[in-house]
Amino acid sequence: MKSSTTNESAVDLFESRLIRGGTRLIADLTEFFRDYQVDDTTFAIYAKGATRNKGFLLSRFLAWTVLPNYSVSLFCVDEGSALLTTEKVRRTVDTVTRITKDEDLKWAWLVFFSNRDLPPPIVSFISRYDKRELGLAAASTSSRQVVLSNNQVGRSIGRQLKLRKTIGSDHTWKN
Amino acid sequence: MEKLTKTQVPILASYSMPLVLLSAFVINALLVVFHISGGTLRLVLLAGSFPVGFVFGRLIYNKRSHVEIQFDNSTFRVIKGSKEIVTGFWRSYRIVSLVVDQFGKPNLRLYKTKGGEHVDLPISRTNAEPQRFRDYAQSLVTGQRPRGISPQVVEAA
Repeated sequence: MKSSTTNESAVDLFESRLIRGGTRLIADLTEFFRDYQVDDTTFAIYAKGATRNKGFLLSRFLAWTVLPNYSVSLFCVDEGSALLTTEKVRRTVDTVTRITKDEDLKWAWLVFFSNRDLPPPIVSFISRYDKRELGLAAASTSSRQVVLSNNQVGRSIGRQLKLRKTIGSDHTWKN
Repeated sequence: MEKLTKTQVPILASYSMPLVLLSAFVINALLVVFHISGGTLRLVLLAGSFPVGFVFGRLIYNKRSHVEIQFDNSTFRVIKGSKEIVTGFWRSYRIVSLVVDQFGKPNLRLYKTKGGEHVDLPISRTNAEPQRFRDYAQSLVTGQRPRGISPQVVEAA
């Protein structure tokens, strides 16, 4: 896996970027859980936040007066060297969709990390996914391939969350 | 018990600077009384207000704001100034998270129940590496044996 230090995984690196405010332009993620279990799914990262950032003094006042206060979340699944299947992605999407409804989230990001090459059915499923409230992405740390869903939230995973940079990819995988 | 701590320079400076100014006034008044009105000696004596101010500032900082986290594999204590503000057993908690405060600094949060009662450990005010310390705390909370690494990092210069 691509890492900044010898024992830092891509997931650690991704979380580290998020903690340092990688999503600040569109959402302020303020709480980070690791190995968070929901039913039979374990999320390597579960981050909660809102679109209205807190800031300090002037930026806080501007955010309070201008920005909407929607709750948002980020979920990350680390498949390691296990094969990422469409069934697994579907089940995780269902779990995240249910959490989105239960916690009244405006939108959520769901990112899959895999040590293997992304199978064509996964690439097809994710690149054709277009529901507004869930942005999907899959990243292979071996081939440096990144696939994003075909919606606004999905595209922001590439632009704002800098997923490609995390795994050291210089390819631009257009949907 | 292991300790995590760090001198918070901005807070120390905020305590010290008014005292530097105050001691400069006092030194200046003494110089006037002793008719030392010019030259290098006056400048050297006035510069003494910095060490004097910082010594007293450090005393106030240690008494009021210095944060120290003491922990071992079963318990933890957070000491702020001369008061112990949080103490507990790792095993009393079930979920661990990192909470980013309004200044963008991550602190550790321990939950007794999902979304319920919690305590915050101000690790951003110490020399702890947030993700490593969270992993360490999580292993203790979940009852796993912690990997033999200290979550402490060398304080940056």
